Amino acid sequence: MSIRRQKWIFILTLILIAAFAFTSCQKKEQKVEKVQKIQVITTLFPLYDFVKNISQDKVDAVLLLPPGVEPHSFEPKPDDIVRINKADLFIYTGPFMEPWAADILKGLDNKSLIVVDSSKDISLMGEKGKHGHDHEKKKEVHEKEHRHSHEKGHKHDHEMDPHIWLNFANAQKMVDHILEGLVKKDPTNKELYSKNAEQYKSKLNDLDQKFKETLSRCKKKIFIHAGHFAFGYLARRYGLQYVAAYGFSPDAEPSPKRLIELTKTMKKHGLKHIYYEELITPRVAETLSKETGATLLMLHGAHNLTKDEFEKGVTFISLMEENRKNLEAGLQCQ
Amino acid sequence: MEMIDFLSYGFIQRALITGFFIALLCSFLGFFLVLRRLSLIGDGLAHVTFGSVAVALFFKTFALYVSIPVVMISALGILRLIEKAKLHGDAAIGIVSSLGIAIGILLASLAGGFNIDLFSYLFGNILAISREEMILSILLSGVVFLVIIFFYHDLLSVTFDEESAKAAGVKTRRINTLLFLLTAVTVVLTMKAVGILLTSALLILPAVTSLQVSKGFKASLLISSLVGVLSVIGGIFISFWLNLPTGATIVLFNFFIFMLVFAHRRYNIKKRRLL
Amino acid sequence: MSVTIISVRELSFQYNSAEVLAEVSFDVTPGDYIGLVGPNGSGKTTLIRILLGLLMPSAGTVSLFGRSSLDFREWYKVGYLSQRFMASYHHFPATVKEIVSMGLLSKKRFPKRMGSSDEMAIEKALECMDIVDIKDKLIHELSGGQQQRVFIARTIVNEPDLLILDEPTAAVDPETRERFFNLLENLNHQKRTTIILVTHDMGSIGKYASKMMYLDKRVIFYGTFEEFCRSTDMSSLFGSLSQHLICHRHE
Repeated sequence: MSIRRQKWIFILTLILIAAFAFTSCQKKEQKVEKVQKIQVITTLFPLYDFVKNISQDKVDAVLLLPPGVEPHSFEPKPDDIVRINKADLFIYTGPFMEPWAADILKGLDNKSLIVVDSSKDISLMGEKGKHGHDHEKKKEVHEKEHRHSHEKGHKHDHEMDPHIWLNFANAQKMVDHILEGLVKKDPTNKELYSKNAEQYKSKLNDLDQKFKETLSRCKKKIFIHAGHFAFGYLARRYGLQYVAAYGFSPDAEPSPKRLIELTKTMKKHGLKHIYYEELITPRVAETLSKETGATLLMLHGAHNLTKDEFEKGVTFISLMEENRKNLEAGLQCQ
Repeated sequence: MEMIDFLSYGFIQRALITGFFIALLCSFLGFFLVLRRLSLIGDGLAHVTFGSVAVALFFKTFALYVSIPVVMISALGILRLIEKAKLHGDAAIGIVSSLGIAIGILLASLAGGFNIDLFSYLFGNILAISREEMILSILLSGVVFLVIIFFYHDLLSVTFDEESAKAAGVKTRRINTLLFLLTAVTVVLTMKAVGILLTSALLILPAVTSLQVSKGFKASLLISSLVGVLSVIGGIFISFWLNLPTGATIVLFNFFIFMLVFAHRRYNIKKRRLL
Repeated sequence: MSVTIISVRELSFQYNSAEVLAEVSFDVTPGDYIGLVGPNGSGKTTLIRILLGLLMPSAGTVSLFGRSSLDFREWYKVGYLSQRFMASYHHFPATVKEIVSMGLLSKKRFPKRMGSSDEMAIEKALECMDIVDIKDKLIHELSGGQQQRVFIARTIVNEPDLLILDEPTAAVDPETRERFFNLLENLNHQKRTTIILVTHDMGSIGKYASKMMYLDKRVIFYGTFEEFCRSTDMSSLFGSLSQHLICHRHE
């Protein structure tokens, strides 16, 4: 009896799986038939949004990350690799954000694929202040030393901060790289792409100016982020001190000492706000807020969007605008 | 930083209190599970929880309302597979847990993405425990404690030899159901509070350590809970002193205790042979 | 008051459509000491598991102490020693005393507590099997013979009216075996404990049992030992020499 029942459950499951597989295949085929446009695969939301802004509707841009997925823990699935194989253009952030990209690209049969490493010519910051091994003071010194070495353009073997898009000067360079790739693949629309890119870059430039202006009139010059260390570039550009609970990716949990240091820093600087990151349940931020009475504010790293955000049509610039407002509130800017 | 300062932080206090009760909870249940060769049930049910969270996100409801009943049903599914289909525990756990993951992945792709990273929703952190999680863990360990007190002899005999227990009129089915349901609730709650790593480690390591000591049943059960509590509390302090992530430190410290006890036992056996 | 201890009517059992037991009917009266014999796969263990309520029969009825086994609740009246007693206890953390105490469980109601009278019963059973000095040892520290004594102690600790023993002397040293059979004889004579003993060992069974049942899917023979020895069916089944040997030992 029970064996027979199990058999049925098994068969039913198989049928269900087959049904799903069938419908999803159909969907894909329809897409392929309809679209003759250039296929552009992007890995992170900023790249996706940049491509959209430059190309308008001329290309078919795809964001590899499914909505809501935290990108640092992302690994492409076989299906994703098939998509990359069929694409015309593959745009990724850089080898430190997508360590899997190099291996996959090596294994591709797609000879006509143009690959854009958007971090080209952008100097990366290293492990500074990534994790609070030392006390606050020591770290400031540590930071300065590091800043020096990076400004000289030294390359380090250890981990690098991949969040280059959060410096809007870098973002403009990334737009240039993307433009270059698009034009190479589709020279006929060169003029349109160049015009759009220029316009978008000037928007990014405005954004940069606005940040500069806002953050120059703040009482506090430090902000605490209960997420991973994503805003290092932003902090450096506007002369702020930045402390994060995690390292460059949100994988390892912080130690108790780290959390105590963060509470102490918050109390010392009289901070009334703590920032949390997108996509991830803000457990650590809630803990710190309970500890210090600070209120939670979001600082969106723009790595990826949630499903709702996609449906609302959120853009990179609108996200950064939100960030600016939240920083304005949190750093008590007048 | 001094100890008093360390202990004055709310999140450290919550970690110590919740950690204490979760250690008791897991090491008590884990003791029975390990002896019945169901050590991996924690891992298996964690996978099911993953699937159930996907279901909850899919229907946009509060995850615990879906996870707890779904994981309870899965636990009973494992039990029935063992009883009716005469499968070994590991195979039954494997079937149910892979089904859980499969459903989770299927729904994730059907939904076309979520509003939150599925994994982060799932994995708690012992340093970021909410008040509610603390209270729930205390209540749940209270329930488990009472069950063990009132059903101690039944649990002992069912764990020792199910058939003889049944022949002696023990309601083995009821006892098994109780044990599996408690395990299900424990896995969901402790996973939410302290993460999968600690949940599955605390279900296995304290029990295995106590079995190295070679004492009677009651003594081993108590040693198991003692080892669990010691590892969690000790692990929290060590992670503070050495500035390490707490969850991983607890697991390593627990393993260290296990190795010590194991080495001690080996040494004793050798000594006995030489005499 | 002489209630029938066991009454089995038209019992049959199929497993995956293979016939294991068919048309089994018999009665056991108080004070019987029955040797249950039969070839491998003859359904002895299945019969016992049905008697104990561990298996549901495909057809037929079983009653224990005058009550249908479906709603029989007084399992403390039945002591059971299973054949697989040593299977998986290699590292089970239980002391001799803890294991013997499990035997008292069937008498208890919720919440099950052990009192001083239980302590005494345990002590008595330990003495009976001469294992008092190892009562705090772990089961897996003991030799096979010692383990067997522990399990026997567990079976007799609440002085059951009916003892069902499945191959209890399969892996046991001669001394334990001798002690065990003497114990059964005492229980049977002094306390009129009813005993069903499944065994391979046709030779020694005759020394103790008062009745014989020969099972091979059906009850081929069931009767007193004398009847067994006089039965011509049995002598044709076993050969007269074997029958003679079994019966000779009995005298």
